[in-house]
Amino acid sequence: MSLAFPLALLWAGLTVPIVIFYILKIRLRRVPVSTTIFWQQIFDEKRPRSLWQILRHLLSLLMQIAWLLLLVFALTEPFFTWEILQARRVILVVDNSASMRAIDVSPTRLEAAKKIGQQLIAGLRFRDEMAIVAAGVQPQVVCGLTGHERTLQTALAGIDPTDGPTRVTAAIDLGKRLLTDAKHGRVVVLSDACFPGSDKLTEDKLVELRTIGTRAANVGITNFQVRRSLLDPIGYEILTEVTNASDRPAECRLDIDLNDAPVDVIPLSLTPGQTWSKAIEKTSASGGRLIAKLSQIALAAAGEEESKTADGKRSTAAAPDALAADNIAIALLPKRTEQRIVLTEGNLFLRKVLEVNPLVKLEVVTKPPEQYEAGVLYVFHKQVPQAMPLGNSLVVDPAGGTDLWKLGEILENPIVTKQDSDSPLLRHVRLDNVLLPEAKQLTPTDGATSLVTSLSGDPLYFSVERPGQKVLVLTVNLDQGDLTFRTAFPIMTTNALAWFAGQAGELRESLAAGAVSEIPISASDTLVCRSPAGKTHPLPTGQAKVAIGPFDECGLWQVSKEVTDATPQRKAQNGTPPRGAGASVPTTLDEPIIEFACNLASKTESDLRIPAALQSAGPQTAMVAGWLVRPIWFYLVAAAWLLAAMEWVLYQRRWIS
Amino acid sequence: MALFDSDFLKKLEYLSIVSRRVFRGSLLAQRRTLQFGSGIEFADHREYTAGDDLRYLDWNVYARHGDLLLKRFQEEEDLHVYFLLDCSRSMGFGNPPKFDLARQVTAALAYIALADLDRIAVIAFADRVLADFQLTRGKARILPLLNFLENLEPQGVDTNLTASIQQFVRRRQRTGLSIVVSDLFDPAGYQRGLDQLRHRRYEPHMIQLHDPQEARPAVLGDVELYDIENDASRKVTVTEKSLRAYRRLFDDYQQSVATYCRTYSLGCTQATTEIAFDELILRMMRTAGAVT
Repeated sequence: MSLAFPLALLWAGLTVPIVIFYILKIRLRRVPVSTTIFWQQIFDEKRPRSLWQILRHLLSLLMQIAWLLLLVFALTEPFFTWEILQARRVILVVDNSASMRAIDVSPTRLEAAKKIGQQLIAGLRFRDEMAIVAAGVQPQVVCGLTGHERTLQTALAGIDPTDGPTRVTAAIDLGKRLLTDAKHGRVVVLSDACFPGSDKLTEDKLVELRTIGTRAANVGITNFQVRRSLLDPIGYEILTEVTNASDRPAECRLDIDLNDAPVDVIPLSLTPGQTWSKAIEKTSASGGRLIAKLSQIALAAAGEEESKTADGKRSTAAAPDALAADNIAIALLPKRTEQRIVLTEGNLFLRKVLEVNPLVKLEVVTKPPEQYEAGVLYVFHKQVPQAMPLGNSLVVDPAGGTDLWKLGEILENPIVTKQDSDSPLLRHVRLDNVLLPEAKQLTPTDGATSLVTSLSGDPLYFSVERPGQKVLVLTVNLDQGDLTFRTAFPIMTTNALAWFAGQAGELRESLAAGAVSEIPISASDTLVCRSPAGKTHPLPTGQAKVAIGPFDECGLWQVSKEVTDATPQRKAQNGTPPRGAGASVPTTLDEPIIEFACNLASKTESDLRIPAALQSAGPQTAMVAGWLVRPIWFYLVAAAWLLAAMEWVLYQRRWIS
Repeated sequence: MALFDSDFLKKLEYLSIVSRRVFRGSLLAQRRTLQFGSGIEFADHREYTAGDDLRYLDWNVYARHGDLLLKRFQEEEDLHVYFLLDCSRSMGFGNPPKFDLARQVTAALAYIALADLDRIAVIAFADRVLADFQLTRGKARILPLLNFLENLEPQGVDTNLTASIQQFVRRRQRTGLSIVVSDLFDPAGYQRGLDQLRHRRYEPHMIQLHDPQEARPAVLGDVELYDIENDASRKVTVTEKSLRAYRRLFDDYQQSVATYCRTYSLGCTQATTEIAFDELILRMMRTAGAVT
């Protein structure tokens, strides 16, 4: 045995005054009495200073000395050499991915894992160290290496469940790095082992896998996306995928609602392990939240299905669907807004192609207006103003030059040689096989983007985009040729209208949990990201782009501007002073700038079935710490307290007898 | 505050008036001696013998019957009341000290006796007789008596009732009522002393006083008990158990005093210092059955 602080032995010198005081005795309290007749009778019967009395006082003295010596010895912090040599280093990896929310183990798999973790922490010996790593979404060290039990227990209790994917393997790698070259180190993984490669963990000598859960059945939505139709201005397509992650046939109902209005209800019958997938086409001008819900989930009876829980008790599977997170999915459908168009009369095909668009509110005029309204798309056919108005304009076969182009000669039979197929304006459009007998030769000013170019190099279709101004020019004469008879014409028009409307994102992808997204922001904006549960996280400022995520919670995430509430200042101006000069100005969140739909969308996480080979992996008992769980000084202090209690009893006996 | 102030004297007067109806015939009963003498109350006749005083011849009987009979009268004698006041240092115990109450009770009873034309004497004792207030009579003697009592102080070594009473009874004096005012904390016991009084035909009456602290001492733990009577000290550990034993012993002792007095038909009054002297006197009257 060694002593950490041998100098503390000097405190043993306090024994001397104890003995001296005991021998000398402190002067007793003098109590005058009128007579000692009665006292004599009492004490003469008991024979004062009897052998027992002397021994009792001596015993008391010995106890006091022993009490002091125990405390002194505790102060030296004695320890055994083997304590240091056999100190363990344990990395506790706690899987808090979405599958750990399953309720096949009461109350959840994660809570059961935490319970085991608590036992492991309680089993730590003095000088043992433990670190805790959460393995959901992103491996995260929630508690560094420490032997302090309360810190570890608090850190373990603070691990929240997530809807993210499992990152156990990465967490184990992180844990191994924390182990460094510790002799008695190991990584204990508390997981449901529902991830690829879990069976290989048992081969790793450093890793001890403790599985939590059962082969629970689950039916979940594994994919749910929506996008606007490329052809139909108000149409949209839904892609949905449902997986039966169980060994039994399942029946359920898929309800799809748009802004709480039913869109579709699909009854499903799924065979074991089947993944059902379907694309559904619907129409709606209004966008919003599209929500898919699985309901009335019923798994076929499978006799008495019994399973073994984490704590070794046998229980019958109670719930047919053990995971609720994948029973609901959300997607965002972009909204289509009505466009007001003022058309300069000239071509019937052009007029009709605009009229048939359900999002267009068309107004036909005979000549270009003298004043232009903001937010209106002006379509000029042949007649063009000398200076193009601010805002959006579509020009077809201009008869004159403007501030954006100069008019040249007429191009006879121009041949399309170059087409910008990457441009959204030419999506699904091919003009190289279209007969174009005549076009105008235009020379655009700087800043124009040529979309379709003729053999002579003259632009046949070009766009000019300036701040507050978007102009699209088609130089082709619509009255000649077959462009108006081709399907390319309405598609071109629809693309143009979408370009003017700024409908760049036809697909607002629903993100899978754990994904990261990036959005462009203004450097001056102070943005806040709000989780579905209502937690807000400020986003970094002063950058052109900011990454959001990883999304660890299913639901709707919102990015809003943080605006300062000016109400207190207004009150101050009105004469009512604000409370306290240094009071912080309250802030509120503006309307969301952008929303993200986040779904579990993971077949791995939806599959709650623990691999059969791992169902009883690893010892299910806590680490045995032996009798010396605490440092030696703890036991010495405990013994000192015991002695103090005994001395107190003796003291009380002297009084109460 | 003086021991015998004007308030005290007023109370004495009150007690004196009350006691005329009370004590007469009971406590300080107007005693008649067995001697025949020159009293005024007729007792009986006897034959005349030569030398008898002719003034006491009953001439009426002689006239009627011709017999010479001599009238005899019962001679009334005043009662002698002796106050044996314990002045040992144990009487100085308590707050207020027992000695104060003892002196006040002695003064009150003496006043009543003096007012009744009885003779009183006060003998202060501890281990022996320490001081004497000689036999006296008449109400006018009350002030010297009070002065005597006021000058007394607790003194002596150990109470020795036997030696003190022995010293008292050896005196050539008439017997009478002897009122012992004491705590009776005599290491040798109180019985022998009181026996001597009884045997010498004194009529003892006990007034035993004690302090509440003596009956129920609030002492616990390691203490040094200091006997104020003989300056002896003793280091002891007082436990709850020993306290219980003490209380039992004390109560037994008080009971033994009461039993002794009852056995020999002696008057006995036991009181604590919590009670005022006039209250104590009234209690004695109630015990005598005159006041309810």
